Parts: sequence; C-alpha cells; structure tokens
Amino acid sequence: MKLFFLFIFFTVVVSAQTDWQKWGKANYSYALKINNEQRDFSFDSKNTARFVLKSALNSYWFFISDVDGDNCSFSPTCSNFFLQAVRKTNIVQGTLMFFDRFTRDMDIYNKFDHYPEVEDGHFYDPIYLYTLNQKEIKYLPPSVVVKTE
Amino acid sequence: MKKIFLFFIFFYASGFSQAIHQNEVDLFSPANIKKFADYLYCSGDYLRAALEYEKYFSADPNDTVKFKIATAYSKIGKYSKASALFDSFHENSKFFPFARMEFFETLFEEKNYPELRDSISNAGLSNGFIFKEQAKKIYYFSYLYSNESLPSKSDFLSNFSGPDLNQIKYFYDWKNNPPYKSPLLAALFSAVIPGSGKLYAGEIADGVTALLATASLGYLSYTDFKAGHYFRGWLFGGLAAGFYAGNIYGSAAAAQIYNVKIQFDFENSLKVFINSKNCFVPEINFCK
Repeated sequence: MKLFFLFIFFTVVVSAQTDWQKWGKANYSYALKINNEQRDFSFDSKNTARFVLKSALNSYWFFISDVDGDNCSFSPTCSNFFLQAVRKTNIVQGTLMFFDRFTRDMDIYNKFDHYPEVEDGHFYDPIYLYTLNQKEIKYLPPSVVVKTE
Repeated sequence: MKKIFLFFIFFYASGFSQAIHQNEVDLFSPANIKKFADYLYCSGDYLRAALEYEKYFSADPNDTVKFKIATAYSKIGKYSKASALFDSFHENSKFFPFARMEFFETLFEEKNYPELRDSISNAGLSNGFIFKEQAKKIYYFSYLYSNESLPSKSDFLSNFSGPDLNQIKYFYDWKNNPPYKSPLLAALFSAVIPGSGKLYAGEIADGVTALLATASLGYLSYTDFKAGHYFRGWLFGGLAAGFYAGNIYGSAAAAQIYNVKIQFDFENSLKVFINSKNCFVPEINFCK
C-alpha cells in the first residue's frame, strides 16, 4: 500500500514538473526599453569625413554614453540624430541640424506640450522635420503616442 | 433478446439520420447569404459584409444590395471601389440622389477635388437634384482643401448664409492669405540676434535657450582669448559659432514646421465644421 502511494506521489510530482516545462515560465520585465541597446557600432567607410565622424560617435557611445546611461530625453537620441542627419543630408547640414537639436535638448521648458511621445516615454523628434524639405514634414500633434519600430 | 435490442438501435439510428437530413439547412442559398451579410453589416464587419453581399449580388443584382456594398467599402476606406459603385447608379433608381452624394463624399475623402467639382458641376447642381444645396456647399468647401486658386470672395460667400457665415468668412480669409511664417525671414532674424528667428516661429523657449547658449559660449571664448588661454578660446568660440549657425538653420526649419502645423490645425477645424453642419447626407440606416 505504501509503495502504491509512493508511486502515486512521484507520478504527480513528475507530471507537475512536466507541466512546468511544457508551459514555461514567463519572464516579465517592466523596465523601459533602453535606446542604447540598438546601437550600430559598425564603421562608416563611404568617405573620410563620415569614417572619422562614425569613429568619434562609436567612441562616445562606448566610453561615455553607455556608461552614463539612457539620459537623452529624445528619440532618436542626439548622437543618433547626428548620425542619421549626416547620412540623410551631408556633413555640413547634418552638423547644423545637430547643433539645433542640441539647443532643443537643452531647453527644459515646455517639452511635454510640444513633442509627441514614443511608447517608451522619450520625445519623438525625427530628422525628417528638419531637412528643410517642407514636403517631407508630417506634423504629429503632442497627443499622439508613436510606436517604436 | 440481444438481437431485438440491436435491431431497435439500428432502426432508431437510421430513422434519426433521416430526420437530420430532412431538417438540413442550405447555408449557401442566396437568402441565407443575404441574411448573413445583413448580420455582418449591422455588426459593423463591413469587409466581410461586402464580400457576402457581392456573392448574393451575382444571384440577385439589385440597387439596395449594391448600395450596401458601396457603403461597406466606403466605411472601410476603400474609396476607389466605393466611388465606382456609387457612380454606377441609374438616374431612375430610388437610391440615385443618395448614391450621388455618397459618390461626392468618397471623392472628397480621396482628396480628388478636381473630379469632385467636375462631377458636382455635371450632375449635382441641376435643378432636379434634391441635394443641390448640400452639393453646392461641398463644391465650394473643396476649394478650401485644395491648392488651386480660390473663387472670388463674393462668389464664394454667396453660397452660404445664416449664423455660420462669419466662420466661413474666416476660413476663406485664412485660405486666401494663410498666416505662414517665412523661413528666410526667420533665418535672417536669427542671424542678427541669435534665437529671435525661433521666437518669430513661435518657439519661445528654444529661442531663449539659443540666445543663452550662444551668448554664454561667446563670452567664455572672449574672456579666454583676453586672458591668453587660446585653446579654450578657440574651443568655446567654435562651439558658439556652431550654436549660432545651427540656430540660423533651425529657425528656418522651425518656420517650416510652424507652417505645416497651422495648415494641419486649419484642415482639422474645417473638417470638424463640415461634419457638424451635415453637409453630406446622413447615411441610410439599413439596420432598423
């Protein structure tokens, strides 16, 4: 009789284990997604200026930004904005766009009423608004929540 | 006994299967397809309703079903299909005036304003058309959305009357002379006083920040050069120049964004106004 109960007990334990493995444990994370995780550290070799710029950006990301944490309030971050702006336009226009973005980043007043937010809480401020091509500008009111790709 | 019991089961089972066969429903009969399509339509499942109505339409083509198919396509934003169907109603059909108005609405939603005005001129403004007044209003409102030149103010406003006239006057004046900001002027302002172009484009906080950044870095550069710290002088001077030039560029961009924003606000308020005034005919309720 004892053996029978022991058999039942172990069967239940084993089947419970099987059930556990079958469905798996859900790994919930309530942490916000960090922009820094999607960084592309490859080198840009299209021309010398872009190679120098990308190398400087990679160094900034590796030695400063990643250590400092996800602190830029914008999406894309200022450094990513710079990179995208240079890729989209040219190094002179991209640099001007970056200085303008940096001014906007330093402005601590009125951001919540001004920019739509991305799902992760960053302010959405893409480069297509600033290429001086009015046809490319698609206005999004601040009430809109932008989905990350 | 066992044999009798098995025979009983056998006959009972065969009799029951006959009964099922007699009560079998043909789910794909035209009447049932229509019933299902009506159910989907009234539940708001317009895509599947349109597909079911199309199946039914091949068996029994009639204007009610055609109107429903067109309305369903219009509801889900398939305006090209909807407008082709609405346009195909014959003048003798009882749905003709409604279909005409729905046709105008689909062209309006598609932003096909030249074709909309041509269609209204051809059919919507004839004296026999019962929705002539609404069609005329849509005709003129379409000018406020398109980039074509507006008709004269007196000609435009003569089609409207009543308490909304002032609002329509405002829309006309806005469209005729939109309060855009000049990107060139914004850039020039910022070239003279850093940040002033941003103020002109409505970005007050950004303008003040740009002025503070340029002025403070410029001052640091000046004091460093004065004290003989040339490296720091060039460093701060370079940064000040970057912020100065970036602000000139950014002021022009801010003026462009301002223009797009006020155009967006104008179109939204116009849309709200048009919807509130029931310029389009209320849709026929098939789900009573």
